[in-house]
Amino acid sequence: MQASRARLFKEYKEVQREKAVDSDIQLVCDDSNIFKWTALIKGPSETPYEGGVFQLAFSIPEQYPLLPPQVRFLTKIFHPNVHFKTGEICLDILKNAWSPAWTLQSVCRAIIALMAHPEPDSPLNCDSGNLLRSGDLRGYQSMARMYTRLAAMPKKG
Amino acid sequence: MISQSTSSSSSSSSTGLALNPCPICLDSIKQEAYLDRCFHKFCYTCICQWVNLASSKDFCSRAYVVCPLCKRENFSIIHDCEGESFQQHYVNHEKGFLLNKGHKVRLYCYSTEPDVMYQKYSVQKYWKSRRYLQPNRWFQSWLRRELQALLQVKDVDVIVHHILGIFESFKRRNEQDKQKISHAQRREDFQASMTDAARPFLLSRTERFVNEAELFLASGLTIDAYDEVYLQCLGLDSPTSGDIEITEEIDGQGAQVSSVDLFFDDTETTD
Repeated sequence: MQASRARLFKEYKEVQREKAVDSDIQLVCDDSNIFKWTALIKGPSETPYEGGVFQLAFSIPEQYPLLPPQVRFLTKIFHPNVHFKTGEICLDILKNAWSPAWTLQSVCRAIIALMAHPEPDSPLNCDSGNLLRSGDLRGYQSMARMYTRLAAMPKKG
Repeated sequence: MISQSTSSSSSSSSTGLALNPCPICLDSIKQEAYLDRCFHKFCYTCICQWVNLASSKDFCSRAYVVCPLCKRENFSIIHDCEGESFQQHYVNHEKGFLLNKGHKVRLYCYSTEPDVMYQKYSVQKYWKSRRYLQPNRWFQSWLRRELQALLQVKDVDVIVHHILGIFESFKRRNEQDKQKISHAQRREDFQASMTDAARPFLLSRTERFVNEAELFLASGLTIDAYDEVYLQCLGLDSPTSGDIEITEEIDGQGAQVSSVDLFFDDTETTD
C-alpha cells in the first residue's frame, strides 16, 4: 500500500477515536477518495468568528506527509490571511515550514489559532489587513463579524 | 507567513494505535533511526525520505535537516544501532564524506574473522625481534584510513595524532627500558595503551581495531600490499581485479548481506 494512503488511513482511525474529545473540529473523509477531506471548524471564542462554523477543503498530495495538504476555506471569511475569493490560506506550516509530524487534525488546530491571531503583515486579504495595520480594530471586527453572520451561521427562519 | 511553534500528533498513545509511533508514517517504528542532535526517533526509510526532500528543496542543497518534531538542525541519521556500534548517514552525502574503495574493503574485513591473518603473520616474532622499535612510515596513513572507515568521518586527524602519540610513547618507554621484560609483557603493554587510546572513539570495535593495528605493524607491508594479502587470506582476489568475486562471496553470507553489499555495490563508481 502506498505510504500516503497508509498514513491517511491511520489518521482516519485517529479522527474517529478523537471525535468526542475535540468538538471544535469535525474532519470528514470523502466517501470514495481518501485524498479529499473536508473539515468543519468552530470559530474561536472571543473573536469575530465566534459562533460561526467554517468549512475547509483538504486536497492531499500523493507525497503526503512529505508534502503539506492543500487547504482552503469553502466558507467565506473576512480575515487578513485568507483570500476573500478563493479561500486560500497564508500559513507557513502549509508552505515552507511544513513538517510531516503535522496531521490533518493538527493543521485544523493551527488554522483555528490563525483565526484568533491574524497576521496583518502578510495579508492575502488587503482590505482586512489594512484595517488592522491602520489600527482600526473595530472596523476589522465588525466586518469579520458581519461575514461570519452572513456566511458561517445557520440562516434564521 | 505565520509562525506556529509546535505541532502535536503524538498525543494519542492510548488505545489501538502503535505506542510511540513514527511521527512520519504514524505506524510502529521499523528500523529505528535517530537524528544526531535531538535524538528524535523515526523509521529509517521515513526519515531518509524526509531528508532527501527537505535537503533538496532549496537551490543550494543544505548539509543539515530540520527535525520534523522539534525543528532542530541535525547533520546525520544514526541507524542500525547494535550494542555500541551504529551506522551514520550524513545529510547530502556528496558534500560530506564518501567512503572510497579502500575504506569499504576495510569495513568488509571487520565483518570477517581475523584468524586467517594471524596465521599468515607471526605476531610473536614481531615482538620478539623488537621490530616495533623501527619506524613504520605507512602506519599513519593506515591509521587515518582505518579510522575514517570505522567512524565514517573525513576529519580524523585529532584521533590519528592521539593514537600515534600513544604509540610513540609506548616505543620510547620500551627503548629506554633496559630491564628484562618479556615480549609478551611488551605486547600486553602495547595492547593496553592502544585500547585506552582508541576506546573513547571506537567503542565496541576497539579490540578488533587494536588487533588489526598490531597485524598491520607486524606485516611490515605497504598499505596496498597489505590489503592484497588480506583479501587473499579471506579467499578473495585483490580489490582491483576481483569486484565480481567479492560480491559473489558476500551473497553467500546470509544476515550480513545487506550491509556488506552496500560497501561494495558502487566500487566501480567511487574513487
